[in-house]
Amino acid sequence: MKRETTRLAARMIAFLARRAASALLASLLASQASGAETTAPHWAFQPVQRPAIPAIGGQPGTIVQPIDAFVQARLAREKIMPSPEAPRATLIRRISLVMLGVPPTPEEVAAFVQDPAPDAYERLVERVLEDPRMGERWARHWLDVVRFAESNGFETNRERLAAWRYRDYVIAAFNQDKPYDQFVREQVAGDALGAPVATGFLVGGPVDIVKSPDPALTAQQRADELDDMVATTGTAFLGLTLGCARCHTHKFDPITQSEYHGMVALLSGVQHGDRELPPAPQRVAQLADLDARIRALESGLAPHVARDPEAPSTQASNARPPVDFARNEDAFPPVEARYLRFTVLASSGGEPCIDELEAWTGERNVALASAGTVASASGTLPGHAIHQLAHINDGKVGNARSWISHEPGRGWVQLEFKKPERLQRVVWGRDREGSFKDRLPTRYRIDVALDTNRWQRVAGSADRAPFPGNSQRPATPTYDLAGLPAPEAEAARRDIAALDALRQERTRLAANDKAYAGTFSQPGETRRFHRGDPLQPREAVAPGTLSVFHPIALDAKTPEQERRLALARWLSSPTNPLTARVIVNRVWQHHFGTGIADTPNDLGRNGARPTHPDLLDWLASELVSEGWSLKQLHRRILLSATWRQSSAPRPEAQRVDAASRLLWRFPPRRLEAEAIRDSILAICGNLNPEPGGPGFYLHDVDRENVYHYHPKERFGPAESRRMVYAFKVRMEQDAIFGSFDCPDGSLVTPRRSASTTPLQALNLFNSRFVLDQSATFAARVERESGPAPADRVRRAWALAYQRAPDDAELRDATGFAEAHGTAALCRALLNSSELLFIP
Amino acid sequence: MLDRRRFLGDVGLGLGSIAFAHLLGRQGLLGANVAGKEPFRPAIDPGRPYAPRTPLFTPKAKNVLVIFCSGACSHLDTFDYKPELVRRHGQPMPGQERLVTFQGEQGALARSPWDFKPRGQSGKMISELVPHLAALADDLCFIHSMQGKTNTHGPGENFMSTGQTLDGFPSVGAWVSYALGSEDQSLPAYVAIPDPRGKPQNSVNNWAPGFLPAAFQGTDFNARNPIRNLAAPGSVDGRRDAATRAFLQRINEGHASRFPGDGELAARIASYELAARMQLAVPGVADLSTEPAHILRLYGADEGGSHILDTRAAYARNCILARRLVEKGVRFVQLFNGAYQTGGEGVSNWDGHKDLLNQYSVHGPVLDKPTAGLLIDLKQRGLLDETLVVWCTEFGRMPTFQKGSKGRDHNPSGFTCWLAGAGVRKGFSHGATDDFGYKAVQDVVTVHDFHATILHLLGLDHERLTYYHNGLERRLTDVHGEVVRPVLA
Repeated sequence: MKRETTRLAARMIAFLARRAASALLASLLASQASGAETTAPHWAFQPVQRPAIPAIGGQPGTIVQPIDAFVQARLAREKIMPSPEAPRATLIRRISLVMLGVPPTPEEVAAFVQDPAPDAYERLVERVLEDPRMGERWARHWLDVVRFAESNGFETNRERLAAWRYRDYVIAAFNQDKPYDQFVREQVAGDALGAPVATGFLVGGPVDIVKSPDPALTAQQRADELDDMVATTGTAFLGLTLGCARCHTHKFDPITQSEYHGMVALLSGVQHGDRELPPAPQRVAQLADLDARIRALESGLAPHVARDPEAPSTQASNARPPVDFARNEDAFPPVEARYLRFTVLASSGGEPCIDELEAWTGERNVALASAGTVASASGTLPGHAIHQLAHINDGKVGNARSWISHEPGRGWVQLEFKKPERLQRVVWGRDREGSFKDRLPTRYRIDVALDTNRWQRVAGSADRAPFPGNSQRPATPTYDLAGLPAPEAEAARRDIAALDALRQERTRLAANDKAYAGTFSQPGETRRFHRGDPLQPREAVAPGTLSVFHPIALDAKTPEQERRLALARWLSSPTNPLTARVIVNRVWQHHFGTGIADTPNDLGRNGARPTHPDLLDWLASELVSEGWSLKQLHRRILLSATWRQSSAPRPEAQRVDAASRLLWRFPPRRLEAEAIRDSILAICGNLNPEPGGPGFYLHDVDRENVYHYHPKERFGPAESRRMVYAFKVRMEQDAIFGSFDCPDGSLVTPRRSASTTPLQALNLFNSRFVLDQSATFAARVERESGPAPADRVRRAWALAYQRAPDDAELRDATGFAEAHGTAALCRALLNSSELLFIP
Repeated sequence: MLDRRRFLGDVGLGLGSIAFAHLLGRQGLLGANVAGKEPFRPAIDPGRPYAPRTPLFTPKAKNVLVIFCSGACSHLDTFDYKPELVRRHGQPMPGQERLVTFQGEQGALARSPWDFKPRGQSGKMISELVPHLAALADDLCFIHSMQGKTNTHGPGENFMSTGQTLDGFPSVGAWVSYALGSEDQSLPAYVAIPDPRGKPQNSVNNWAPGFLPAAFQGTDFNARNPIRNLAAPGSVDGRRDAATRAFLQRINEGHASRFPGDGELAARIASYELAARMQLAVPGVADLSTEPAHILRLYGADEGGSHILDTRAAYARNCILARRLVEKGVRFVQLFNGAYQTGGEGVSNWDGHKDLLNQYSVHGPVLDKPTAGLLIDLKQRGLLDETLVVWCTEFGRMPTFQKGSKGRDHNPSGFTCWLAGAGVRKGFSHGATDDFGYKAVQDVVTVHDFHATILHLLGLDHERLTYYHNGLERRLTDVHGEVVRPVLA
């Protein structure tokens, strides 16, 4: 079948080549035709060898870097001249947008344009490479490649609150110029290499957390998780579509289905989830200090620890039945009370839940809110519409109308009746509809009072048989200050408050030491799944890599971490023919809009042929020999005459190469969603530069079982940080900029589309966000320029485009601003094509 | 995409197809397509992404209206009549006594709480839960042998809406608008109408563009919530708005003149023109106040006063909106019945695990009259001749009740969808589940087959309609799918 189609392809290409009108097309097709039937090893699987730099007599001054020699040699074959250098104002706008993702300020432009030094541009390049915004810009590209997002996807789509640490790791890696081979290793096995956050890469993808007793579903879900990890490892680092070998041997590349499963075995000890991180030394000291202070307070308060008289009775003979999930009844001799308090002292796990608390006189449940009873509580688990304090006495039972305490293992609810009532029994349950078997109060006490200074216990768990399941006491003791003299009680209360504060601080400090970086455990045997079906396991497969280059093969008993370390070393080996080529190609793509090979996630046989294979190999070999420094790679590209060319179109060159793939000019292109939003905020003077940390929200979140995200309408300074710091939700896009082909992290995105849609126009033209920004832009323009309308137009042009308006523009814009105001002018500029394009 | 188009345009080969440009950079090009067929990649004018495009062969249907019942609507209580289920009510399902499905163990076989009766000329047995739809039995084409491959809602909705169980792939509507554009140039090519109660379980994934250009995503709005940012807030003066748009066009044209022949810049200018047309046209099409009383009555949009009637009227208004969009030539309309916004399982969607009788006693009436009204209205306006109506859901439900419950668990092994309108047989039933309605056993139709059939009716070959992404020439039907020929008229 495959041979058949290959021959067909060859015939078709030959046919096309005969018909091709242009020399370039013919030569491209000829190279295809010759490649189609050959069995020679694929170029990308061969070792990288440093090609000679072509000797070429270009125009004086146009060859400043070896890159230019490669590019111009190729252009010379088509008899196309390169373009002249772009004007300085264009260069600084271009370098800022490409490298930093925001435009330069008018002042930076003026300083650069007027800089008389011959190395003005070289110094600009160095400045840009040291700018911390560089990491923020380029991290976004990498996060696309590794399908990073901060929610689980699928129907529940819950948040991953500790996933941001991986995003910050990537930003820091690019800013610190972490050697790329090390960057690769850390993402696969950072827990063994002093970079534990980096393994956020492995579990960056979506995961279905809806689990079921159905074994077929469970097996399929796990197989999908591992496939996501293996496939993303393949595309991100190797530019290989490993995932294609899940069900069958790869149709184009030398990857067997067994090899795919060998790769699965390397990663099969990885599970989704948060992992505790080893704290940084400074934090260790802080935590030790906090612990000492907490211990001191605790020992001072030790005499006041409440005894636990509610331990269920172990003498089964006369004990009441144990607590029940559905319904419990506590009867007691009639007692007059204005207040009733139900105190939970332990639960079957987690924060305790009560669906309804009833207090009966004889005939009447006097607890009901409808009877005028007011409920209060120690606290309520936040963020759940179905778990509210109001549900405790609303007369409705079941989980969907319940209250949950804010603390694991404890909490209390208090009822205040409208008038004193003669109480006889209390009825309560966890879920009287019988669906939920968790969060049950297992130890509790019921007190009543006529005034809140004199409580009286009327019932509790002490005379019940022990709950047969797990019973979790609160992590910290409860204190009882009853009977203490007032001054002592006051001092103890102060200590308790201080203790609470310290514990909270400790929780906060310790909570930071978590990342959504996966957990690891020794995996069982990996079997090959026939046709990729987990219900059809076949022979066992040992951990190993692809045989096409320097394979590693491990014993089936290899410890988990060693598997990933071996994989990490194999991926990052200088002899791996793909790793360096793949990253060089990606970096090139984000400079010029298209890679040297325009299928950045597939350098295999089915991928595109590079336009400049020698240049790709030369850059890859330089990268390795220069210690895998990405900044050095950027420097080479930025200093090249190729990069510095004008982007102006030239008809004679367009006739041969309309897409500018041969780089006879710098190809202009549209900015991506994030860079558009960041640029608008920067131009309007509203960009909040605060780096790092948990993301800000573009949505309001409904945290039900299934999470819902509703776009925010208004944005403050917190939401005016760079968009790479926006909490990245799967499925739900930013309501304005999402329509600019912003991927949601459900799939890897090696290259974004740049489509143009009416929704983009509606969002930029009509959204409250852009109108608000226009208003502040106008205020800034009026503040920073003279009162003459023409001055305002000049200032607006300088901020938006970093250039002066020409005469016609100045006339038109001045007249428009006079008629409709500066804000309307600014609204138009924020919508304009020029603002959205890298020149 | 754009560069390649320009490239071809300028080299003057006159091939005019991106499909050919695509050959240039690739080796083994045809091998990517397991069917051994040449990929069909529509030529998209960036200035007019929704311009109507010619399909591969003469289509039976010009546009598609999908009615999607979110939450997994039970085939056994609607359209798939199983007398054996009535006979063996209360007995264990033979051979499946220890079956564990999505939520756990299964109890006994359970007959539907609703009676089935013969309908129309065809005598098709349909349940009393949906009497209005039942009355249209002679117009419908049932597929009773649908089979999915996942029993969770998120992946299930993905599968039905995108052909993949994972998140992130283009929806059927995105593929269709990518292939064919639209007939109307002042409305989006593809509209998703969420249920009045909220979004479906897998939310916007159901109308996502995936890796296709964002131009082909579904635009979501319904009779209650208009398109976001369709108009500037009321505080913006209308004359100033128009003047700003005109000024913007002048500066954009000035900029574009410095890059002659740049399709992307021309497209941006065109996109603002299209946006302005949409701003005028959408409020008109979404304004139902011109609908006469007898039409409101036909759909049940005129009754209220109870939870069921209010919800039904809100859904009915969405149905009227759907008809108006189809009338205008919108290529793909996706109408949702059921939501996961509030209440969770079974409350506002078809996920009847616990209390089938009471939950479906709400959902049945909400769906029935408005959907039937929509079909009748399309038919009386002649729109059914060129519109393919697709009724679907993510999977079916079990013939048993769950152990200790009065509802049915998920069942992807066999379920029912139906088609109506352009190009499909009327009053016809294809395929069958076993005696209990548990598994599809006769003429099994996979979701891929279902999608292949929809594309076929639109004049598209599912094996040829492709888009290159992440190393693969991607198809809606992956590497599967066969057109279900027996359902074709």
